[in-house]
Amino acid sequence: MKKFLAVTLGILTAIGGFVDIGDLVAASQSGARFGMSLAWVMLVGVVGICAYAEMAGRVVAITNRPVFDLVRERLGPRMGLLNLVASFLVTLMTLGAELGGVALAVELATSVHRLLWVPVAGVVLWVALWRVKFETLERVFGLAGLLLVVFVVALFQMHAPWPDLWHQALSPMPDQGENWNTYFYFGISLFASALTPYEVFFFSSGGVEEKWGPKDLPVMRANVFIGFPLGGLLALGLMAVAAVVYHPLDVQLNSLAQVALPVAATLGKLGLAAAILAFFATTFGAAMETGLSSAYVVAQYFGWPWGKLLGPRRAARFHVVLMVSILIGMAVLFTTINPIQLTEYMLVFSAVVLPLTYLPILVVANDRQYLGDHVNGRFANAVGMVFLVVVVVAAVAAIPLMIVTGAGG
Amino acid sequence: MILFVGFDLLDRQILDRDGQDVGKVDDVEFTVGEDGSPYLTALLVGPEALGRRLGGWLGRVVSGVAARLAMARPGPIRIPYDAVEKVDNAVHLKIRRELLPEPELEAWLREHVIARIPGNDHEE
Repeated sequence: MKKFLAVTLGILTAIGGFVDIGDLVAASQSGARFGMSLAWVMLVGVVGICAYAEMAGRVVAITNRPVFDLVRERLGPRMGLLNLVASFLVTLMTLGAELGGVALAVELATSVHRLLWVPVAGVVLWVALWRVKFETLERVFGLAGLLLVVFVVALFQMHAPWPDLWHQALSPMPDQGENWNTYFYFGISLFASALTPYEVFFFSSGGVEEKWGPKDLPVMRANVFIGFPLGGLLALGLMAVAAVVYHPLDVQLNSLAQVALPVAATLGKLGLAAAILAFFATTFGAAMETGLSSAYVVAQYFGWPWGKLLGPRRAARFHVVLMVSILIGMAVLFTTINPIQLTEYMLVFSAVVLPLTYLPILVVANDRQYLGDHVNGRFANAVGMVFLVVVVVAAVAAIPLMIVTGAGG
Repeated sequence: MILFVGFDLLDRQILDRDGQDVGKVDDVEFTVGEDGSPYLTALLVGPEALGRRLGGWLGRVVSGVAARLAMARPGPIRIPYDAVEKVDNAVHLKIRRELLPEPELEAWLREHVIARIPGNDHEE
């Protein structure tokens, strides 16, 4: 019974933890612009993150080595360093975007300008990670993130036109008056939002710290194969709400207030409060994960001691990188860039660097010297390979599409 | 078992007796024995060794800066190969990391940054 509870809690945390600022922005924006016609991308993205998170988790459970450790080992010092720089920069951008999301959520609740909340959010984040109270906080924020279910509730309350939504989802093409470039640009953002690189860094590093072994494989798989798809379902809920309310009006979404508005209109104050709390929890939870991830990748490349369980004195370099990362994240926001816009750019660059993370995972997951009998089966390899092609195509197309479409404008 | 230095050793994580992170195998040291054949004598750890393997201007910068920082103890950290217990997906040492010299950057940051911030000495 106790074990059952622990597993359930893990899955619930994974659901809430799946959604972050990237999903909030990409799912809502694509819903508003293209209705449900990009829903299939979300499905593809979820299959991809499940396949690769499972591989990364399996590698950790058998070898106890986190993903970036293997990146350096497989790619060598030079390519590994290039990969490090790219992954680190994208993770920093993500950290900035998540912190911006926190500030926006608090602005929604208080009407005090977001820039005033940025330093508060940054300091609270740093203190939380410095005091290493991470375990509990991760749970709390993961669970609070489940409040996003208000979007699904709102969808039922507003008597959504289900047949129309189905019809849109089954016709995967741009509406009249829209072109394929914009369609695929939004598709790539949505895809990247499901697969942001930090997720595998964080997931695998957490596994090392929790000392996963072969016996933890079933629990890890349950978290991945149940938690992530349900998280994806929450993101689809966001997309559907935007599709119902904003798509017919041809309104472009560019603030969190707009994302929350339909919930406030259908469910009233309580619904709005739940939505804001959910925004706060998902973005703050993700800010902790991205902050840690940026320090993880650096420490794991250089072989330094790292970890949320090590006190600052025993991992000085790790904690200094963490601190500097948070400062850079805050500095990015102080350029007064709109966090929503920062998120859009972050998603494009995430798409560009994804192959750098995913290729080494696939290679190691096939290495018998590491995994023995736990190497990929045929099915995992088939999914992995198909997926790698998709990831590479998205990476190559991302920046040209951003330029051609003027960032979806 | 044959050990391929380039494949099985370089860039692997080094762990001490208790599983604590020591560093990466940034380079290795060979010595030519009396019979004229080279044998592996030590693992080299630290940015100075890494810089040499990175090559190019970047490698020179990394090595140069590291060398400047390590005025008191020139050269990379050297772990005699005799201290290696076994090599699998990491390099496991027979000794504890306290017996090895501490990386300069870690010591410097702990003293000058971490130590000045309250609440730095807790453990979970």
